[in-house]
Amino acid sequence: MSPTCLFTRRHALALLAGVAAASPAQAAALRVATVDWAVLETLLALGVTPVAATELLQFREVAVEPEVPAGVADLGLRGTVNFEMLRLARPDLIFSSSFYVSSEPRMRRIAPLESFSIYARGVQPFAASETMTRAIGERLGVSEAAERYLAETHAEFATLRAKLGRLDGRPVIPINLGDARHFRVFGADSMFGEALARLGIANAWTEATSYSAMAPVGLEALARVPEAWIVLIPPVPPDAMRILAGSVFWNALPNVRQGRLLTLGSINPYGALPAARRFARLLTEALGHAGASGRG
Amino acid sequence: MASVVPTPRIAAIWFLPVLAIALLFAAVIATRPPLAGDPAVTLVLERILLWHSLVPRFVTALLCGAALGLSGALLQRVLRNPIADPSTLGIASGAQLALTIATAYAPALIAFSREGVAFGGGIAAVTIVLALSWRRGLDPVTVVLSGMVLSLVAAALSATVILAKGEYVLSLFIWGAGSLNQQSWDAAIALGPRLILGCIAAALLLRPLALLGLDDSGARSLGLALHSARFLVLAIAVWLAATVTAEVGVIGFVGLAAPALARFAGARRMRDVLIASPFIGAILLSLTDSAVQLLGSGTADLAPTGAATALLGGPILLWMLRRVPLTIPPQANLPHGPLRRIARPWLAAAGLALVAALLAILALVAGRGPDGWNLATGSLFLDLLPFRAPRIVAAGTAGAMLGAAGTLMQRLTANPLAGPEVLGVSAGGGVGLAVMLMLTPGMEPLHLLLGAVAGSLAVILAMLLLASRPGFGPTRLLLAGVAMGALCMAIVSTVLAQGDMRSYALLLWMSGSTNRVGDFEAWTGVVACLALISPLFLFSRWLDILPLGEGMSGSIGLSRRASRLTLATFAAVLTGLASLLIGPLSLIGLIAPHLARLAGFAHGRHQLAAAVLIGCATMVLADWLSRVVAFPYQVPVGLFAALIGGPYLIWLLSRAGPHHG
Repeated sequence: MSPTCLFTRRHALALLAGVAAASPAQAAALRVATVDWAVLETLLALGVTPVAATELLQFREVAVEPEVPAGVADLGLRGTVNFEMLRLARPDLIFSSSFYVSSEPRMRRIAPLESFSIYARGVQPFAASETMTRAIGERLGVSEAAERYLAETHAEFATLRAKLGRLDGRPVIPINLGDARHFRVFGADSMFGEALARLGIANAWTEATSYSAMAPVGLEALARVPEAWIVLIPPVPPDAMRILAGSVFWNALPNVRQGRLLTLGSINPYGALPAARRFARLLTEALGHAGASGRG
Repeated sequence: MASVVPTPRIAAIWFLPVLAIALLFAAVIATRPPLAGDPAVTLVLERILLWHSLVPRFVTALLCGAALGLSGALLQRVLRNPIADPSTLGIASGAQLALTIATAYAPALIAFSREGVAFGGGIAAVTIVLALSWRRGLDPVTVVLSGMVLSLVAAALSATVILAKGEYVLSLFIWGAGSLNQQSWDAAIALGPRLILGCIAAALLLRPLALLGLDDSGARSLGLALHSARFLVLAIAVWLAATVTAEVGVIGFVGLAAPALARFAGARRMRDVLIASPFIGAILLSLTDSAVQLLGSGTADLAPTGAATALLGGPILLWMLRRVPLTIPPQANLPHGPLRRIARPWLAAAGLALVAALLAILALVAGRGPDGWNLATGSLFLDLLPFRAPRIVAAGTAGAMLGAAGTLMQRLTANPLAGPEVLGVSAGGGVGLAVMLMLTPGMEPLHLLLGAVAGSLAVILAMLLLASRPGFGPTRLLLAGVAMGALCMAIVSTVLAQGDMRSYALLLWMSGSTNRVGDFEAWTGVVACLALISPLFLFSRWLDILPLGEGMSGSIGLSRRASRLTLATFAAVLTGLASLLIGPLSLIGLIAPHLARLAGFAHGRHQLAAAVLIGCATMVLADWLSRVVAFPYQVPVGLFAALIGGPYLIWLLSRAGPHHG
């Protein structure tokens, strides 16, 4: 395929997108469904209530915010989307993500489908989420809300960054305990990693991770980041903290000895901007409470 | 415990492995990347890392290995079964399933006692396995087959729990394969005294244990309360294995390999085996654990230690098969006496076809929606058809293909317990699938299909090669299949441990979900059924002659090799295609031919037709149930079928028959 040919095709696509965006009045009434959680939280954040979404029981527990209105139909597990339920919800448009590539032909039978890929090799999830928010805004005729939300996001990050600037400036290692001996770490290519960068905080985990998180890492790896704040993302296994409290190794870690251990509220690790904001807000609050300025 | 007499030869045998583990451990310590930062801080941390992470890990590996070695030696003795161990008896999977369920649904129990939960699960598993093989006099083959099937079902259940809880990656990893990372002496402190207690108990039971080697009647005449002694030893073995599982996860096959190696090294008397096994187990696990650390990146291991030992387990089990005493194979037990024969088999088959059709119509029409149960008609029916039809077709055709493959295998091996799942052929398809997922970038359905078929074919050819060796009877073939299945599942779980998109695809495949099936898969099923099952009726004469035995079929003038190879290739391709659609765990390929035979379809072609139809009908029903049981949440159909098939198989194994031994 020649470069010219590629160019014209892109041109045509852009033109089509322009046409689609040009009819907001019609788009505003669209019934949308989503099988992806990152899209779900973005929709809710833009004030759009989808007609159906996946695994709402777990979403309310893990992602917590934004709140899901009662009328949204549950499509079952993210791994096994209930297509019948999706069909019966009669959406005009379905949002999907790269996790569902193999199911796309079937979903296209129900309604036109738009897919985003935020968590994929070589993709920066924060920038991808911004692009996605804008794209959803344009597609649904709520561009204003999308731009407002993006501006709010930037403003919130700026405010939080200023607050954090007054604190101790130590790096942070965001982890999720698997049991009392292993953790999953979120690296530079994760949403948490990107949020840290935008807050002006260094991520203490500098090794490569793939698809945003690396698991499992033996707990002894924490000895390599003695300066960092250890930030635990729930769920924390029920017996882990009890076992760790009695562990010589754990208690010898400078971070733990000097109180640099925080547990945040539950956050969706594969979320979009709302999850990034929730992480940034909870982290700033927790660091502030822990009196990060007092030590150093 | 009595000490080993230190002759120079024994000293030499022990010296080399001990030197090896010491050198490897030194290498692990020497090659760790140094900590960066303020030397005053890092010096303290380095010391803590050494004494609270590396050394306890080394000691824990030794203790776990020793506990598993002892547990294996005890189990093999008490069950008079050279291939018994915590993995083949389902103890490790039972313990792990209990831990998984408790973590997901009753965290308070875990907080109260991990060890207790694991012991409960292990004891439950071994109780089920033994209760079911009790009437067969705890025949080694029956015991191990029940144990491995139980492990399969437990694995399917664990996968489902993990899928249902969403946050699968991390917990799956810790579930699937034991990891020995340590940051404290807790595991060593928990294991050490238990191991010593186990050793003391074993030493005290030395005399009764020696008697357990005798026939039941011989031991009883010596005044031993046989069952209580057995139970005591069994409880100790389960407790040791469950403690290891609770502390570090599933470490497969060390308990199998250690006593085998002890006997190989020349330990003949039971006392020698009991003393040598813990030492050999400790050395084995320590070597493996140091190797995965050395080959890893410095902060992360190459693979979890448990997965690495499981990879060793399959070949060891295969090698061990020559030592299994040839008891009466299980089929001697199956429907004895004259089988009822159906007078008009084709009419009965037509009846079965009608049932399958009715079930398909039910599945197409009946379902649940947002407002409860409904019968879809008119436009609603047309709306839902594109989603219901492919999965019903895929499930039905997969069931039919497995029914056909199972019939071929049972006829080929003259063993009614053979089946694509039991012989490891389905799991082989999984390895092919995993290889394709690793090698090709997209998840192209055609590539996956080819991978699954190639994997199944490789396993079935290996099985036939083994079966063609002199003295390799049907019983050994079954065990070889079980071993091959375990090896393949170990490879699959290593890929699962990567925790990325490919793992997710494999996890979905393993649980056998028809939800993701589309038109391509449905048409593949239909075409494969037509193209692969109908020619089989041309070979129906082979099906009737082959089970008669080698002498007979040879004299009738059948080229045995060619006919076997043809049928086996058909069976492999059918299995590979079917397992791609509904996963490796359904056990339908075992059940359908069996039910057909029990129903009285005696001739090869009649059994084939009936098994195809029964397989089809069962899978359509299972698919429908999996769709509506927890609506809108869906249970993977492969698992659902395994929950029907597993108990049926175990019941089959336990059917009362003539006692022997």
